[in-house]
Amino acid sequence: MAERYAEVAHTNGYEFTAGSGYQLPEYPFHEPPEIASGQPSHHPVVIVGAGITGLTAACALAQYGVPAVLLDEDNTVGVKGASSRGICYTQKSLEIFERLGIYGRIAVKGIQWSVGRTFAGNDEVYSFDLKQQGAFNLSTQPPFINIQQFYIEAYLVDRIRELGHVELRWKNRVTAFRQDSECATLNVETPAGEYTIRADHVIDATGCHSPFRQWVGASVTAKKGDDRWCIADVRFTKRPPVERHTWIEAPFNENRAVWQHLMGDDVWRIDYQMAPDADPAEVSREDVVRERLARQFGADAGIEIVWVGPYAYRSECVDRMRHGRVFLMGDSAKVVSPFGARGGNTGIADADNLAWKLAAVLRGRAAPALLDSYDQERHEAAQQNVLVTNRTARFLRPASPVEKLFRDAALSLARQHAFARQFVNTGRMAVANPYTRSGACDASGGLSVQNVVFQWPDGSRGSVNDLLRWADGHLLVLVFGGASAAALDRLRALAATAPVRCVQVLGADDRPGALEHVRDPKGHLQGACHVFGHAWALLRPDSYVAATGETVDASLVHAVGRALGAAVEEEEPTA
Amino acid sequence: MKTPLNQQDADAFYEQLLDAHQGLDERQSALLNARLILLLANQVGDAKALKECVEAARKLAA
Repeated sequence: MAERYAEVAHTNGYEFTAGSGYQLPEYPFHEPPEIASGQPSHHPVVIVGAGITGLTAACALAQYGVPAVLLDEDNTVGVKGASSRGICYTQKSLEIFERLGIYGRIAVKGIQWSVGRTFAGNDEVYSFDLKQQGAFNLSTQPPFINIQQFYIEAYLVDRIRELGHVELRWKNRVTAFRQDSECATLNVETPAGEYTIRADHVIDATGCHSPFRQWVGASVTAKKGDDRWCIADVRFTKRPPVERHTWIEAPFNENRAVWQHLMGDDVWRIDYQMAPDADPAEVSREDVVRERLARQFGADAGIEIVWVGPYAYRSECVDRMRHGRVFLMGDSAKVVSPFGARGGNTGIADADNLAWKLAAVLRGRAAPALLDSYDQERHEAAQQNVLVTNRTARFLRPASPVEKLFRDAALSLARQHAFARQFVNTGRMAVANPYTRSGACDASGGLSVQNVVFQWPDGSRGSVNDLLRWADGHLLVLVFGGASAAALDRLRALAATAPVRCVQVLGADDRPGALEHVRDPKGHLQGACHVFGHAWALLRPDSYVAATGETVDASLVHAVGRALGAAVEEEEPTA
Repeated sequence: MKTPLNQQDADAFYEQLLDAHQGLDERQSALLNARLILLLANQVGDAKALKECVEAARKLAA
């Protein structure tokens, strides 16, 4: 097992990278205490892989005060020589990072834009301005930010060190794994020698070459295509582009697709679609890349190549994301093409979904069965993201002459008619996926709640994330509008017996009951919770409503039990 | 999906459709049909009706 694993790294397969790259932070290796003592240690949670997913999981656990150990085979964030990867982070991810305390740094370093233009041939097919689209405006975070992935990873590392609770172990490579009814056991190789570590729960965030898939016997549904792409991250010393552009058929790229968008440090990502089955070594050679760039920007644009990375169209999804003590997360669980930013953003949401559940179970606040809802919820999200990304891939690389015919038809109509723009699929931006088949959510819940603003009783500004931080990993019962004395009594009784915190959400003139209360004069909090009029919403620490209802009665008590795993069907125990 | 006749002048529509293809080569005709399908689909709108239409057309293939 260890030998087979040695053939592949945890990295994401950018074998043909080039360019001057970035300066990445390096973290020190400390000899793990198990080596000197010769005794294996035991931890409630071990996370493997310090990419964006593993680090988000680690940071969320640290925030809940859950002790954990994170193992990474490298001593830096990013991948040496391939330090770019994800660039686009959605509102939901930014809201999660706000809750974790690193959003401010992301907003300063990253790029926000709202205008995008899509071309076919020399003509613009359509353009959009996100500022004109209302749905995103109520959150305190923008629709998305473009920033290099390794910056976020480095901010997470800094934040984890601030928070404590999670020990980061660099240059610690997992070489073997087994699990039984007692614990999971991992063999770890380091520059100072090997050791064994045991865990109750293991988070596999090792990425698309995850060795855990084999170790736990995970089956994978996979699809490979002949579509090939090559990214060039570049800086311009003269004449930089001015807008985000997408070409479905770029005249300067043999009528194949091209993306052009800006991220931090004035670096532009130019992503070129290559000929089917193109050789990655050939298309990423510096002279070939420079020629391609010159065709688009002219020979005198003063282009500095920061990074080059070819990739192939690929879609994979494990059939289950929990295997006993192991939770597969991010690219370990599913791999998609980058269209719509459904890779990294999904990993971030996976991590945020599991972290509060682990915290609740380890603290004895929730039933162990709650952990199975991780698979129910995030596997639904993974499948949805694979489906949506595959549709984009099919538009961008028509598989047959008739598929190309319909694309031509759609493009020609889109130039004139608004309805046809909807067929032009250059990527559907990742969303906070709804959960429709979770044992922990009611049919009235399973929806994400935006980080909107309300007023604290003293009139100062608060946001949903402030409430969640105040709730500190507990479920939050929000009761909208005035409540009867009997309802207030029931809420007090509920708060006294269940791990929930109750808050009354009042209009500008409503009189507060004896409960904690906030004011929502514009109804933004109520709208964000997907309820109207007199209602309650049961808000989870990951800012999803587990359930909503009208009357404070047994249905709320039932929803609380369900959100804590009382109704989740438990997975077969591992042998 | 509606299967009883649902248009005022079927003969006239059929003629119009054939006329629209006159003088087009095979590729242009195919493109016209594809555009027409997308335009008509937007007139129908209803997802269930569209799905049944696609299935009914597919059933007769090969």
